Amino acid sequence: MSVDGDSSPLSSSGSDDFAALLNEELAGISSDESLEEEADETDQDHDGEEEEVYEELNVEDADFAPKRSKRQRLDMLDDDEGLHCSTSLEPVSQSSDVSVQLEICAHPSLIKGMCVKCGRMVDDVSAVALGYIHKDLKVGSDELARLRNKDLKSLFRKKKLYLVLDLDHTLLNSTHFQHISPDEEYLKSQTDSLQDLPNGNLFQLDSMRMFTKLRPFVRTFLKEASNMFEMYVYTMGERPYAMEMARLLDPGKIYFDSRVISQADCTQKHQKGLDVVLGAESAVIILDDTEYVWRQHKENLILMDRYHYFSSSGRSFNLNNRSLAELKRDESEPDGALATILEVLKRIHQLFFDLEQDDDLMRRDVRQVLKTVRSEVLKGCKLVFSRVWKIGEQVENQRLWEVAEELGAICCKELDASVTHVVSTDMGTEKSRWAVKYKKFLVNPSWIEAANFLWQRQPEDSFAVNDSKKEH
Amino acid sequence: MFFHIVLERNMQLHPRHFGPNLRDKLVAKLMKDVEGTCSGRHGFVVAITGVDNVGKGLIRDGTGFVTFPVKYQCVVFRPFKGEILEAAVTIVNKMGFFAEAGPVQIFVSNHLIPDDMEFQSGDIPNYTTSDGSVKIQRDSEVRLKIIGTRVDATEIFCIGTIKDDFLGVINDPGAAA
Ligand SMILES: [Mg+2]
Ligand SMILES: [Zn+2]
Repeated sequence: MSVDGDSSPLSSSGSDDFAALLNEELAGISSDESLEEEADETDQDHDGEEEEVYEELNVEDADFAPKRSKRQRLDMLDDDEGLHCSTSLEPVSQSSDVSVQLEICAHPSLIKGMCVKCGRMVDDVSAVALGYIHKDLKVGSDELARLRNKDLKSLFRKKKLYLVLDLDHTLLNSTHFQHISPDEEYLKSQTDSLQDLPNGNLFQLDSMRMFTKLRPFVRTFLKEASNMFEMYVYTMGERPYAMEMARLLDPGKIYFDSRVISQADCTQKHQKGLDVVLGAESAVIILDDTEYVWRQHKENLILMDRYHYFSSSGRSFNLNNRSLAELKRDESEPDGALATILEVLKRIHQLFFDLEQDDDLMRRDVRQVLKTVRSEVLKGCKLVFSRVWKIGEQVENQRLWEVAEELGAICCKELDASVTHVVSTDMGTEKSRWAVKYKKFLVNPSWIEAANFLWQRQPEDSFAVNDSKKEH
Repeated sequence: MFFHIVLERNMQLHPRHFGPNLRDKLVAKLMKDVEGTCSGRHGFVVAITGVDNVGKGLIRDGTGFVTFPVKYQCVVFRPFKGEILEAAVTIVNKMGFFAEAGPVQIFVSNHLIPDDMEFQSGDIPNYTTSDGSVKIQRDSEVRLKIIGTRVDATEIFCIGTIKDDFLGVINDPGAAA
């Protein structure tokens, strides 16, 4: 004899009695409407044995409202007082209203396959899963557009935009216990208490066997940014990691709420997309240290200078200098990347909301503002490049050339009196010597990179070209 | 809705429990095993109210365990389409809100929240009427109507509405504060 009864507690003859009882109660009352409903419900993916009873119950489901009096009697089948049902009466006409609604429902979004508007089981393969809001939530494309539009209006009323924040190397740096270098061992005695999250910046997370260092200035950054933006976390990390990091950054849960997007939410492999963000693309700014994951949304991106605190982090990007942790140093709090970018964000925010021309906020585009602000960085600079790329390369396609132009510089191939800077890797080239002779700025290519990350023209003398002859 | 029904189950008992208290042991184990579980057929087993019959035990070869067929009465809870429930709000977001009625999770989307209620983000996300008189936030109690149920082996999930007469907030924790 089998003892399966123990593992599936409720399979027994009693259930048949139950179903039979319901059927008996409801016999002979199935209207056309209920048959239709039943046909609808049978699509559901329930397996075997359960399905059979499920359908029976659904017949009863569909008939529930019009047959209220029957249901009431069914409820009373036990005479124990404490067991009354929690339903209340409503006019029968209500239920027919609902069925009219059902027929025209566009099924805007689904939870567990059920339409959130009409309650029917729906199969919409094009709907986008928003697992970070609810694990079984899928939203149709029309509904996404509607939600974004609606949200934008209420956001603009609060004078806010959206800010999508990457975690690793942007807001913080994490490393596994086993990747700590000997010179970083001292950190183990310097971690901050997890009981006092709002004031700590170096944490030991035993459950993940991980150390996490928050980037200097991050708390001020989040506080100030939250006045201008509705913020999302968007990481390629897995959900438990993302949630833990969000907890460290936002222990009071005031910045991110449920807006923490992780790898499983991405709709394309190795790509982050704004398709899962409930914000209009025209109002989103992204901060990330990795450019290629945002292939679809480059215009929204502010590329961040990578924060490497631990040695393992630098090594994974082929940087072999000693880590900040090993040197017992850190990025500057007042002048670091986050403080710098906060100023840029303030400026973008101000430009976006203070533009006097064209009063329709809804038609403004933060990507355009981003472009404008970027193009002011090297405004007035006219650059000639020397020995920066190989002979024969199509210079206009080079990244550095592109970046310089995005920053507002004019790039050209030939020297003339209007040229202000020569960007070179070698003092000895003809163009470099020309720059010296005519007292033009002579800088190495990092000058452009630095301006790119810091959104500010950098002092030229900090980026002098190495004299190759002297070095030898 | 609650039902009082009779169910049957095969209980396996370790030989060490055999003795004068056998029946008590069996009932205790039954309660522990069954109360709080869910099945697609009956819904959630809320409480066992009585044991009608314990059948003849069957000794299992080799182990000495004995299997008893037990017939018992219990209260089960299963929501139905059209049913009105009172539920406590757990999560509020742009899409709508989630609420719980005992073990049942219910989602009410913003399509089925009255049009005059707008979502407000912030420290405590909520839906509020324009005059501020009605607010739905975490821990609010609402009366809602079930419009769809999905019964799985271990959980029951419902779609609800508060966009109808006599539905909506019945107790707002924010109002008292
Ligand atoms: Mg990153
Ligand atoms: Zn629908």
